[in-house]
Amino acid sequence: MLRPFTLHRPASADEACALLAGLGDDAAVYAGGTELLLLMKLGLLRPRHLVDVKRIPGFGDILDGPRLALGAAVTHRAVEQSPLVRARCALVGAVARHVANVRVRNVGTVGGNLAFADPHSDLATLFLTLDATIELVSPRGRREMPLDEFVRGPWETARAADELLASVRLAPWPGLSYAAYVKFGVHERPTLTVAVVLALDGTAAHGSAGIRDARIAVGCVGPRPVRLAAAEAALTRASIGDVEAAARAAGDAAAERVDPADDLYGSADYKRDMVAVFVRRALRIAAARARGVEPAERFHHAVVA
Amino acid sequence: MKIRPVVNGRPRELEVEAHALLLDVLRDGLDLKGAKRSCDTQVCGACTVLVDGLAVSACTYLAVEADGRAVLTIEGLADGETLHPLQRAFVEAGAVQCGFCTSGMLLTARAMLAENARPSRGEVLHYLRGSLCRCTGYRKIVDAVLAAAENGPAAGNGQ
Amino acid sequence: MSARPLRVVGRPVPRVDALEKVTGRARYVTDLTMPGMVHAKVLRSPYAHARVTRVDVTRARAVPGVVAALAGADVTWCDPYYGPAYRDRPVLALDVARYEGEPVAAVAAVDEATAEAALELIDVDYEPLTAVMTLEQALAPGAPLVHAGQPPAGHFADLSTLRPKPSTNVCHQFHFARGDAAAALAGADVVVEDAYRFPPVQHVALEAHAVLAAWDESGALTLWASTQNPYSVRVELAKMFDVPLARIRVVVPHLGGGFGSKTYAKLEPLAAILARAAGRPVRLAASIPEAFQTVRRCASRVAVRVGFRRDGSLVAVECDASYDVGAYADIGPRVVQKGTYTATGPYRVPHVTLDSRAVYTNTTPGGAFRGFGVPQLAWALESLFDVAAARLDRDPVDLRRQNFLAHGEEFAPGDTPIDGKLEESLGRAAEAIGWTQARAADRGRGVAAMLKASVAPSVSEAIVRLHADGSVTVLASAVEMGQGARTVLAQIAAEVLCVPLDHVTVVQPDTAVTPYDQTTSSSRSTAMTGRAVQVAAEDVREQLLAAAAQSLGLAVRELELADGAVVAPSRRLTYAETLALKFGMSGGELIGRGVIAPGRTAAPLGGSTPFWEMAVGAAEVSVDEETGAVRVERYVSVADVGRAINPLTLEGQDEGGVVQGLGHTLLEEMLYADGHLLNGTLLVYRVPRADDSPAELECRFVENADGSGPFGSKGAGEGSLIPVSPAVANALARLTGVRLRELPLTPERVWRALRSRSPQGPDAR
Repeated sequence: MLRPFTLHRPASADEACALLAGLGDDAAVYAGGTELLLLMKLGLLRPRHLVDVKRIPGFGDILDGPRLALGAAVTHRAVEQSPLVRARCALVGAVARHVANVRVRNVGTVGGNLAFADPHSDLATLFLTLDATIELVSPRGRREMPLDEFVRGPWETARAADELLASVRLAPWPGLSYAAYVKFGVHERPTLTVAVVLALDGTAAHGSAGIRDARIAVGCVGPRPVRLAAAEAALTRASIGDVEAAARAAGDAAAERVDPADDLYGSADYKRDMVAVFVRRALRIAAARARGVEPAERFHHAVVA
Repeated sequence: MKIRPVVNGRPRELEVEAHALLLDVLRDGLDLKGAKRSCDTQVCGACTVLVDGLAVSACTYLAVEADGRAVLTIEGLADGETLHPLQRAFVEAGAVQCGFCTSGMLLTARAMLAENARPSRGEVLHYLRGSLCRCTGYRKIVDAVLAAAENGPAAGNGQ
Repeated sequence: MSARPLRVVGRPVPRVDALEKVTGRARYVTDLTMPGMVHAKVLRSPYAHARVTRVDVTRARAVPGVVAALAGADVTWCDPYYGPAYRDRPVLALDVARYEGEPVAAVAAVDEATAEAALELIDVDYEPLTAVMTLEQALAPGAPLVHAGQPPAGHFADLSTLRPKPSTNVCHQFHFARGDAAAALAGADVVVEDAYRFPPVQHVALEAHAVLAAWDESGALTLWASTQNPYSVRVELAKMFDVPLARIRVVVPHLGGGFGSKTYAKLEPLAAILARAAGRPVRLAASIPEAFQTVRRCASRVAVRVGFRRDGSLVAVECDASYDVGAYADIGPRVVQKGTYTATGPYRVPHVTLDSRAVYTNTTPGGAFRGFGVPQLAWALESLFDVAAARLDRDPVDLRRQNFLAHGEEFAPGDTPIDGKLEESLGRAAEAIGWTQARAADRGRGVAAMLKASVAPSVSEAIVRLHADGSVTVLASAVEMGQGARTVLAQIAAEVLCVPLDHVTVVQPDTAVTPYDQTTSSSRSTAMTGRAVQVAAEDVREQLLAAAAQSLGLAVRELELADGAVVAPSRRLTYAETLALKFGMSGGELIGRGVIAPGRTAAPLGGSTPFWEMAVGAAEVSVDEETGAVRVERYVSVADVGRAINPLTLEGQDEGGVVQGLGHTLLEEMLYADGHLLNGTLLVYRVPRADDSPAELECRFVENADGSGPFGSKGAGEGSLIPVSPAVANALARLTGVRLRELPLTPERVWRALRSRSPQGPDAR
């Protein structure tokens, strides 16, 4: 049951920001509502004003460019089905296909997902590997910051009260990049999310190319999703044809550097070990894809995208 | 706020409060009791209705969002007294037990078949991830959906 | 006549309520409204154990739209206590709140929002007390007591001998012995023993508990309630309110699942009291989180010692079981003794000592849940059977087969002899899972068997009415909660009276209309209520034949029923014609009566079970060794049902039982920390989804028509669930060498076990 509120439907970002500035803590930004309305029903949030951003021009758009821009009010479903997303970075669409369930995907938005910074979500982990930046607008103007800086902790972001998350911009990986996303867990929301990308050195022969650059992001196990440079370093110069040792090293390095806690999703030591397991597995999958093989292997309680 | 949804093919004009949930407006305002409130957290699917053909959790969806849109509830799935192929398949396959999840299951399957007339078993399982049933072992539900899909393109239609 | 082939019984006909359910027209309690109806909300204790020093509802009462606001102290006009075993539970907390979520105050208001807002204006002062959250804490010497005094016994008939242990948290103890188990174990060639834990789990019926209560001008009370036993609710309320049974009417629409959660009074007393205070009809509908604060399965710790001779024959079982029944006894004491009674499973055991106890803790009350105490014990015994097989170097299937009780053999003195053939179920399950065939390297197989008694003594009554046009009304109080009771009852009446199924209407339970039925639980409806319907229909048949014989001037033995008519070799009278001739007009009906009341016997629990529920489960599992995630790839259940009245609905019920069993086997557990339930929502309490159902799931039946129910049927519906956890754990042990003793087999638990596994294998000495 929801407590009464006033619904505002600004037609522009300026108008929305002015509303937010004027209403302060009494207002919440509303798009799909899949997270906001849930928290309001649980009594955890009690805004007296909702500022609906779905009518702001551009907020529902997916735009091409040097960077792929997903408007804040774009639904997971739209991402899943977008030909542009498929063309520029197919994995983003594939991951969107596995967010929550079909009803949440139909309504829930990319912006809402990122702005809530729920630690058990999919997108932020993947977007870290895409050098995602968050576009924020406010009466003071417009700013852009890396996703990594935007997400400060569980349910905590760098967004000021009068700021609007307008879009997220992704830098699609260069050619000869191969990626994998794996999430694991028995609960409604994932226990662990892993995204990896391997960019190949284009000069070697197919199947034995070296890894020029690796990206590894892990989410859900710690307070916020993180890129793991030490794990990434373990991959550089490894050959795509024989990634096993490097994958193990990367998994171990990742496990060392995450910051899990004991909670409902599992004990810290278990989650730490699962980070090693799934970083390793994700890297194997990405390497197989680099060799032109789509692994058929699936893991219990896990989704591979 | 005034909203004008088309509910089960019939244009409606309703006065609703901003915080009214679609589920309550359908159940209490329009006496369409087929959608059920259960988990209230978008996990179980008992409250599923279709808005412009897309499955939504009516328990966590503002009624005002349905303004100008087509809402399909279980009461509108059959064509008069003629059951929708999915409804027939559910009856015949024994996919119905207590019935509390049934309307959500049927509408979710209807939305799926509209986009994918011949789903694989795996695709059905993927689509039903958010649809819980505590009575059946799901097998008969999945079988019923696949059987309805076998029976031709009509399964994805409906008004 | 008895040799006539069956027309309707035994056929997989669609459910009689399928149409109303697929069209959304089926009505559940929360779909009902009444003029003037108001909505109730409950304020619940945030503490697991606290003294309630002050509850002030003044501010809530003053809210416009609030029509009643009550604290425990306001309930002065009736007995505020209720409970089927002990009347230990106040409708609203009095002085002490004994678990997190216990109702402390309640509000009725014109709409839910007003009621919810008013709850926030209720002022309560708590003084937190030390809580006992686990069996160990509750059983420790000097543990804080959940209940200080000894509450009076409730209404359940066979709990005339409740045995609490004064000044402890033990509210009931059960003891059963035969032979000399200690001596036999001392002399046994192989003894296996261990303690097994079963978690607290919630039913998660998609429809949470709901009641609509209304008092009329004459002071009579009507409730529309999501209850599995309207007659238990009625007697509970009649006691509380000190009114005749006839003044209380309980009507039961469709239930959105039950699984035991809706047995005995739950929210009905509070709804009735609020309706009285409000002077208007009150709807009280729980949320799913509130269902987690209403009832759950009794968690348990079960220590079992099993002794075998070298030749594999079982000589003794010693069992010590503690069940956590939570803050209020509910039906927990019966769960404990009934579960323990069959702790020896379907096996021939000469020497037995069984001890169990029901233990209060400061957690959600534990009550009935599909299996009723048996899954906890089967988990232990059936796991140990495989341990013993390894020690004896025997095949687990063979070892079970060797020790099964035979058809007709005594289970316990005075109780019903075994009425099924488990070796047949086991043989079919083993064959279907491919027990003797090679398995893939990454798959393991396991089996488990079960035996369970139904509630006894119990009573079912039914009325069957044959109307002037030949259509039939069945009046019976078996609740339709998804299991298919109405369909089966209709099939039975249609069969006896030779009418098409669609000529039969089964009326929904209504204590003012449909006759007494003890409970819709214990897998008893087909065998007991169904038998009452069969007898009532036969009564109508005899009346019909007598009427036709008189009209035709023939002897009854020359007549039979066929296709809606009484037929003699040369004559044929439709039922309508027969009745018109009998009554001399088109009107009047025949009324048949069926009463099944076997009464008390010398059996250990006071009554002889009407049937034994027996089944075997076989699982094939795989495990992700790196994560510990277990997946049940194939599962076969074979239940000895005597006769499947409706194979389609029975199959559905058993498939559901398997998947529900997979819930507590792999996923489900209510987790507490610091006195708080951590996972009382479906966001974090995970029940099986469609993709958790085994890719191959087969539910089959042994049908020898050897049951006491209609057409040789027996009860079913719990049997498929009970073997699931031991079958899966046995399969996992055979695959990985890891023996787990605590459910659920979560990935983390299995992972931990895999990392510390001994190279000798799990079941080695």
